[in-house]
Amino acid sequence: MDKKHIQHLYWRAGFGLNPQELSIQENKNRSDLIDELFLKSAKPKPLTVNTSEFNRFNSKMLNTNKEARKEFNKLNTSKINELNYSWIYRLVNSDQILREKMTLFWSNHFVCRDNNIIATQKYNNTLRKYALGNFKDFVKAISKESAMIKYLNLNQNIKRKPNENFARELLELFTLGIGNYSEKDIKEAARAFTGYKTNLKAKFIFKKNQHDTGLKTFLNRKDNFNGDQIIDVILEEKQCSKFICEKIYAYFVNENLNVEHIESMANVFYKNYNIEELIRFVFSSDWFYNKDNIGSKIKSPIEFLVGMHKVIPLKFNSRKELLKMQSVLNQKLLFPPNVAGWQGGRHWITTNSILVRVKLPSMILERESYSIKPKGDFTKTFQFAYVKNKFQDKLDVSVDWKSYKKNVKKLKSEEFLSSLILCNVTPGTEKYLKSIGRLTKKRNLVKIMSLPEYQMC
Amino acid sequence: MKRRKFIKSSALSSSVLLAPSFIKAMEQINIELFGYKKLVIIQLTGGNDGLNTVIPYRNDLYYKARPKIALKKNKTINLNGELGLHYKLTALKRLYDQGYLTIINNVGYPNPSRSHFRSSDIWHSASDANSFLSTGWIGRYLDHYGKKPHSAIEIDESLSLMLKGNKRSGIATKNANFLYRALHESKINDILSYQRHRHLSEHNLGYLYKTLVDAKSSARYLQEKTKLYRTYQSYPNNPLARQLKTIAKFINSGLETRIYYASLTGFDTHANQLGRQERLLDVFGNSIYSFINDLKKGNTFKDTLVITFSEFGRRPQQNAAGGTDHGTANNVFLFGENLKNKGLYNKLTSLKNLDNNGDLKYEIDFREIYASILNNWLEVDDERILKKSFNKLNLI
Repeated sequence: MDKKHIQHLYWRAGFGLNPQELSIQENKNRSDLIDELFLKSAKPKPLTVNTSEFNRFNSKMLNTNKEARKEFNKLNTSKINELNYSWIYRLVNSDQILREKMTLFWSNHFVCRDNNIIATQKYNNTLRKYALGNFKDFVKAISKESAMIKYLNLNQNIKRKPNENFARELLELFTLGIGNYSEKDIKEAARAFTGYKTNLKAKFIFKKNQHDTGLKTFLNRKDNFNGDQIIDVILEEKQCSKFICEKIYAYFVNENLNVEHIESMANVFYKNYNIEELIRFVFSSDWFYNKDNIGSKIKSPIEFLVGMHKVIPLKFNSRKELLKMQSVLNQKLLFPPNVAGWQGGRHWITTNSILVRVKLPSMILERESYSIKPKGDFTKTFQFAYVKNKFQDKLDVSVDWKSYKKNVKKLKSEEFLSSLILCNVTPGTEKYLKSIGRLTKKRNLVKIMSLPEYQMC
Repeated sequence: MKRRKFIKSSALSSSVLLAPSFIKAMEQINIELFGYKKLVIIQLTGGNDGLNTVIPYRNDLYYKARPKIALKKNKTINLNGELGLHYKLTALKRLYDQGYLTIINNVGYPNPSRSHFRSSDIWHSASDANSFLSTGWIGRYLDHYGKKPHSAIEIDESLSLMLKGNKRSGIATKNANFLYRALHESKINDILSYQRHRHLSEHNLGYLYKTLVDAKSSARYLQEKTKLYRTYQSYPNNPLARQLKTIAKFINSGLETRIYYASLTGFDTHANQLGRQERLLDVFGNSIYSFINDLKKGNTFKDTLVITFSEFGRRPQQNAAGGTDHGTANNVFLFGENLKNKGLYNKLTSLKNLDNNGDLKYEIDFREIYASILNNWLEVDDERILKKSFNKLNLI
């Protein structure tokens, strides 16, 4: 398969390839490459951090003992940060690249945030488990996830006093999209999800006596629907298939939607809502490899960070610093801004974030100092004394230049450049790159990664 | 040479000398710059306790709800015989007496969120409580009416939602040199020196380059325009005062910037509130006072409106730790020379008739204030920006 096409496939299905990987894949054909991606991702591997320290807490203790609660919260924060770090290095190192990319995609579809590690981790692994599975099972599983039950107030949704929050987002953000249902449908769906609860161990609990068993009229159908049945009814709407396919297309193909391509995807997906079949269809379609789709997307901060790790072996030695970089780039995993998630595309870019993106390769690879702070959090106490900003900071990152050098030794400049950059470079950049000598040099790698062209995938 | 003409020609010539070919010669300085309306937005981050800021010191319900942390009459500065300012706000009382302050009570929105993140996003984006916007109200102002990134400046190192638009965003900078230095530290100058504007497309890559070019020209503009500025105003030594001092420098230097945003954090007083809030209000009042004096010396206060807000107020009922938890409606302050309703705009809402959660009911949607400012002060179409029609208040 054409080299550019392989890179395109690997950037959309994962986080790109380094020159060695590219040369290994070069001789394979399209269907073999696609088969390989799915084969490697066949069996989900859960991502976990050790939570045994939580065994000593119980809910009674947390309700009555303030110190215990404080300790519990602190431990949760630290464990969630640990999970954030492990997740990023999972994206870097896993050979299940497609499943991991899909998991990342779904985490910005079924958006959820929780401050309890057990619920957060369980949620994250549910995304991973169903990432290439059946969408119907997926939605049902999500509705019973502890983190979701808390995040969208299902635990307050009781027969006597329904809470519409989950039902509204289920229809608006997770399945049909705005304008494809009525306010009445939301109210009726909320009734069907009454009685959903959870506990400290992040288990799903169904409280029968708080569930409304009455007749509901939903999307023009009348029955004693329960939550799962509401999801069945929603998925019978062709609109649901179309809505999901639009989102997949925008993420994996092009943010400028092509109606015909989406229609053909929606037909495939509607048959049985099999996600793997849908993605296979996309990657196998000729239009996926259209010129307009290659190198046309602005990398998300995570794609940017993880992609760099793929080119040159790197390791952030400080969890805190990696979190900080995610914050200044506006995408901190496990901390989405709200239930609508990150908007992506040009929304990643502000006057400030583009400056950070251009500077980041120097900060990581040349230990260039920086003075960028993320937003402080709301609970921060005010410093009255004048604390002089430690103006310059440096990142603590281990860079394996030795293996980098070994890897690029035999590469021609041109070959090297095209393995790093997918889009056409501007004429100005072409001149610039000609002026700096052999491109595989250490300092030139940094220069290439600082280009706006490197922000594209 | 007349002053205006001189400024015009000197700004033009300096930009011609400095600008690379692809940066369009700086647009002529708008003669209207003199009389150019500016808005300064200050967030008291964490949720300032409004009831202990503008205090109903004759209301028994207030003392009943707060046996430990209510402020006695002798710790308040009387405003109208019913409400008084916190005793650390003597500076604000002076502004109040001069007719430079409007206090709007009971500002909030329907179905209030008690989460810092969410409620702050709601205030920044001006969305309903149940809808999600990824742009801020100032960002959308820039989409329609902004010309440059520096049309709106946040005095910080990273940009808040409030200043993010769809097509355009404002700029965050700690001071006039911060961005300039950032550009020199990184490889941006090298990269840009090879670019020609006509080669930049409308596609995403072109957008990235344009954003970089804009950043560079704004950084240069801020640096050039402010480098000769000197202030003779003294300020207290604290983070808010430093931000306001920078804003005064920008305003008095005649930047074509419409909006400034600063924030003071620390108001999340769940425990030991009395001492903490006292210090914060002291910082707040004295910093604002110096700032306004600075603007008056620069003859720019008449063209500047200052608004302060918190993402929410706090609960009327004190908690067990000598503090207060997240609440709802709160007061908003406006500072300016052109206020139509000087002093107290409205009465404090009832402490008896609370919402289901035992919190204050809002009377004025904060977006009515935004709409009034957009319409009457910045003179733009507020509906285009707020995406809805709101009642206008008689404020400015």
